[in-house]
Amino acid sequence: MDLVAELESVLGSERVRAHPLDRRVFAKDAGVKTGPVAAIVFPETAEETASCVRIAAEAGIPVVPRGAGTGLAGGAVPVEPALLVVMTRMNRIFEVDEQGRTAWVGPGVINLELSKQLASTGLHFAPDPSSQQSCTIGGNVGTNAGGPHCLAEGTTVAHILAVELVTVDGEIVVVGAEYPDPIGLDLRAVIVGSEGTLGIVTRVLVKLTENPPAVGTLLLGFPTVDAAAATVSEIIASGLVPAALEMMDRPMVRAVENFVHAGYPTDAAAVLLAEVAGHPEGVRAEAEMIERIARSHGATSVRTAADDAERALLWKGRKSAFGAIAQSAPDYYLHDTVVPRTRLVEVLDAIYEIAARHGISLLNVFHAGDGNLHPLVSFDASRPGELDRVLAAADEMVRVSVEAGGTLSGEHGIGLEKRDLMGLVFSADDLDAQARLREAFDPTGRMNPGKVLPEGSRCFDRAAVSGGTGR
Amino acid sequence: MSWVTDFAPERDDLDSCVTCGLCLPFCPTFRLTGDETASPRGRLAAILAVARGEQPVDERFDEMMSFCLQCRACEPPCPSMVPYGKIQERVRAELLVQRPSLRRFLRRLVLGRGLASPTMLRTAGIGVAVAQRLGLTRLVGGPTGRSLRALRRVSLPLRPTRGRSWEPRGTPVGTVALFSGCVMDVWFTPVHEALVDVLRVAGYRVVAPASQVCCGALAAHDGAAFDAVRMAAHNVRAFAEVDLVVVDAAGCGAHLRDYGHWVDGGAELAAKTVDATVLVARLLDDGALPELEGDRGEVAVQDPCHLRHAQRIVEEPRRVLRAAGYVPVEIDDLGLCCGAAGIYGLSYPDTSAELGRRKAAQVRDSGASVVASANPGCELQLRGHLDVGIEVRHPIELYRDALLDELTA
Amino acid sequence: MTALREVTRRLLERLRPDDVPEAIGDAPVVAPSTADEAAEVLRHAAEEGLTVGFVGAGTRLGLGGPLEPDLWVSSSRMARVVDHQPADLTLTVEPGVTLGEIEELLGAHRQSAILPEGRPEETIGGVVAAGASGFRRLRYGPTRDRVLEVVLATGYGEVVRAGAPLVKNVTGYDLSRLVVGSLGSLGFVARICLKLWPEPPVHATVPVTDPAAALAATYRPLAVLETREGGFVYLGGTEAQVGAQAAALGAGVRVGLAWPDRPTGPVPVELRVPARALPEAVRTVRRLLPEAPFVAEHGVGVVHLAGPADADEEFRTLRRWAERAGGVVVRLGGYDVLSASEFPPWGAPPPWAGLQRRVVAAFDPAGVLAPGKLPGGLR
Repeated sequence: MDLVAELESVLGSERVRAHPLDRRVFAKDAGVKTGPVAAIVFPETAEETASCVRIAAEAGIPVVPRGAGTGLAGGAVPVEPALLVVMTRMNRIFEVDEQGRTAWVGPGVINLELSKQLASTGLHFAPDPSSQQSCTIGGNVGTNAGGPHCLAEGTTVAHILAVELVTVDGEIVVVGAEYPDPIGLDLRAVIVGSEGTLGIVTRVLVKLTENPPAVGTLLLGFPTVDAAAATVSEIIASGLVPAALEMMDRPMVRAVENFVHAGYPTDAAAVLLAEVAGHPEGVRAEAEMIERIARSHGATSVRTAADDAERALLWKGRKSAFGAIAQSAPDYYLHDTVVPRTRLVEVLDAIYEIAARHGISLLNVFHAGDGNLHPLVSFDASRPGELDRVLAAADEMVRVSVEAGGTLSGEHGIGLEKRDLMGLVFSADDLDAQARLREAFDPTGRMNPGKVLPEGSRCFDRAAVSGGTGR
Repeated sequence: MSWVTDFAPERDDLDSCVTCGLCLPFCPTFRLTGDETASPRGRLAAILAVARGEQPVDERFDEMMSFCLQCRACEPPCPSMVPYGKIQERVRAELLVQRPSLRRFLRRLVLGRGLASPTMLRTAGIGVAVAQRLGLTRLVGGPTGRSLRALRRVSLPLRPTRGRSWEPRGTPVGTVALFSGCVMDVWFTPVHEALVDVLRVAGYRVVAPASQVCCGALAAHDGAAFDAVRMAAHNVRAFAEVDLVVVDAAGCGAHLRDYGHWVDGGAELAAKTVDATVLVARLLDDGALPELEGDRGEVAVQDPCHLRHAQRIVEEPRRVLRAAGYVPVEIDDLGLCCGAAGIYGLSYPDTSAELGRRKAAQVRDSGASVVASANPGCELQLRGHLDVGIEVRHPIELYRDALLDELTA
Repeated sequence: MTALREVTRRLLERLRPDDVPEAIGDAPVVAPSTADEAAEVLRHAAEEGLTVGFVGAGTRLGLGGPLEPDLWVSSSRMARVVDHQPADLTLTVEPGVTLGEIEELLGAHRQSAILPEGRPEETIGGVVAAGASGFRRLRYGPTRDRVLEVVLATGYGEVVRAGAPLVKNVTGYDLSRLVVGSLGSLGFVARICLKLWPEPPVHATVPVTDPAAALAATYRPLAVLETREGGFVYLGGTEAQVGAQAAALGAGVRVGLAWPDRPTGPVPVELRVPARALPEAVRTVRRLLPEAPFVAEHGVGVVHLAGPADADEEFRTLRRWAERAGGVVVRLGGYDVLSASEFPPWGAPPPWAGLQRRVVAAFDPAGVLAPGKLPGGLR
């Protein structure tokens, strides 16, 4: 039997696709790269997923799991003809434990949908990537997704208690537990963020977070980017950890305002979106403190959201940022570097300088509170040579971030796109250790190969490594 | 070979998608299937592949496109403002030529020619009226039968509005032209009459130009672009003399307001076209129509896609219902399509019915005994899937009834 | 000792500390002063097939059962604070630094690493290896969520770094978190970077009669504990906030954080259950071990307790109850008074024991690191 027939015998013909057009549509996520797809399947249970993994093994092709395809690093884009396992149909919320504040959910549950469904319980799922209206919990687990509110709450890994994993052998194992500090090795911690290279997650035990009784959202306009960045540093240094602290520069504010009409100050050089949450008394004091610090750095406008509708509108602006840049050019390329907060100003200056020198159009929108930058280049890939220029500039931007003590990715993941930059931040020995871990889970190298680690990470093929200087 | 017609999707429109995926959860077919190829982003990727000559216009492409409801729910959440509805209409025009079939031909005949012909519409109207009286609609099975039985009782003789005019009650403030539409004018005459009543109270003289025809929305959605252009040109001429055109069917309104990319002079007609709920809300704000006292209870609000997504009209129907003494109840924060989607039910009866059932369940869960919908297609779908006991009315009708109660009291 | 070859002897002479005992039991102790030295020791141990145990302050050695290795590696010579970036909220230290030293350094900056309270003598290396957390985990999460970077001397004798001294980072596999609680099975932790939190300006401790209800009624307290002395809610924040929250809870507010003593006794044990089962867990402990001191963490699901040496039957019953409730009972020590065969260090192995075995083999191919410590029948 051929691959498709074999898959159809398990899933039926509706949930197996291999037409060239389907393969083409599934060849890409929200990033810039495309890859070859052999067939696409839509399993609905862990057992079906395991069967798909086994069938792919017999056919000798790799397996690539995919959620909603909103990843920006090419984590769901195959590097060689692969079986694409789409998890969107496993979208049930199995059980919610309100008292213990946990829920077992399918990987296909949409992030925002989970919090919406929980509205009546006063709980929510804290990680809130900008794509939260579309992205799935499984995808969040795969990339260890972040979001604005991870400043205070931590990224996805802090909110996942256990996962059900289909291993490369097609076994189904629960890793992690409902009780705290599960005994044995914390394999859950490495499965989260492993981008499908250690297995396919078919069920997730998420930790839920209490909704804050009060929230204060401030939109602050600044005459310079430096003033905004200095405000961020001082807020953190003052002993405050806001719920979120986001920055956008003028080009980004203008693109976003054109879409949301939220009344963002389009004349400011940079705006900060700050949110404090918690007990009403604490929120009031912290909002006042942020306003005072902002004014001392020359903030030209201070606006406080009057109600939930206004808060939602201000956040909609922030969360539409990546999409909104298509108004200026059809393609975008962005990085996700993290730098120490204290080096924000100098790294931003260097990034603007790089963009100016390469003559490319740069927009900045980022999680200022934790130093997670998203320098965003808008361009038209159909113009000859433009992509090369953009990639050269982007490469320099990564290097200045790393030189300032930073790293490659704060929340998007390494995927296909940044794996060859791993040598900038890790030595050959560091990468070898990571490759050993991966090999322990997947000795055959068939789980989403070509992601996270550069070719030749494992020491026995280290001869092939190039440019792995480490630090 | 990619595209062959003058109506091919424009490359700039296709390039405006940056594949961020924010549209996915708003797409009803993606919600049902979890399948990228049934999502706006996936369909755009397929269209782009064809535009680049990398994929043929084959059966699978046809299927991927035809499965789209054209509800345009993907447009409001799109930060890149991709004109998805327009692209999809142009793809359908290509399919009509590149993927000919008997079904397509027949559809084109009905949507592109039949709906534009007052004679055909009158004949069909009488046919339905007779069938209703003889109980023949019970004999028709499937979704067609369900829609037929969900039709309002057609009056005999027919009372089309086209070619008529009505004088204002009270002080005249101006003239407004009524867009009569095709099926609306035969099967939904009571909605037109309600609107006319309300506008007359507000001091309007109402005219329904005799030379107007079907707006062409159904033809355009099905790829009968030449017919759509012809109908649009016809209407541009028919309404040349008036300053204000009011439409009480969301689907027609959305299409009229897109006339700019169909014919010369279309943009002018689009600019003076206004949805009935918007006009009435404005008259309420101006004090030209009264806020009516009384507690008429809760009304579930169903947002037609072509009102909420295509025209971004959300608040006005609620405004009108509140003025009529109702408490509007929200049933769906995403405003997912009810599955009517023009003639979608003919091609995909299962998907259409599943969406209809979901929508009906939302209405039922609201506990309201009335649901307001400002589009004839949605009305049929709702009535087809709802139990007896829940009324489906146009918001303007509800306001008119309350208004008449007030005036007679 | 006679099995040690000449090279081993030389290593021992070079790395044997002056200020720690030459041996624990029969096994010699070495104390490397760099990660490279630690790697050298481990490489040698792997080659020679010498089993290795790691030791800091020696306070948590009972976790996972008694260990009798051929060689102890001590962190006593690696006790430097490497870097503190107050504005970046990061602290990098060597494993031998004690919790007391860390909190004293951070206290001057009004910051905290949220480490176990009331155990100043413990080393950070031991806390990380044991995966231990403080009571304030209810508010700030467990220690593992604050380990940003580790340098590890692996069982195969290389020095590897994972993570970065950055508060947010998803670059590569999260080996830093994997090391937390690994009980030395992957290697010797030679450096640790921790994420810090600013200390709230005001703290308060409020006694409550019903801690479970107080937890449900209070927005994000630092901790809600229950002991034989009663229930306590711990608050932190601005003066107005703490004042308002304390007033809502009742009378008897004390300014500051008055943490209970960790239970001490012949057989220390940790009961871990899903948070919702905590009240039931407390009732079960009270019933089975009516005299044993305990501290229960509401909202977390941990009960720390210490029982008498002759309570093996009760401990086994408690373990059966915990496992039915979806939790575990973990033994922390007391093997000299109650043997491991009568009351084993772990209960049922975790479902992922098979995967775990493969991961351990990847980092300790010779199988010499802390053998037998992890649950799941590892060697």
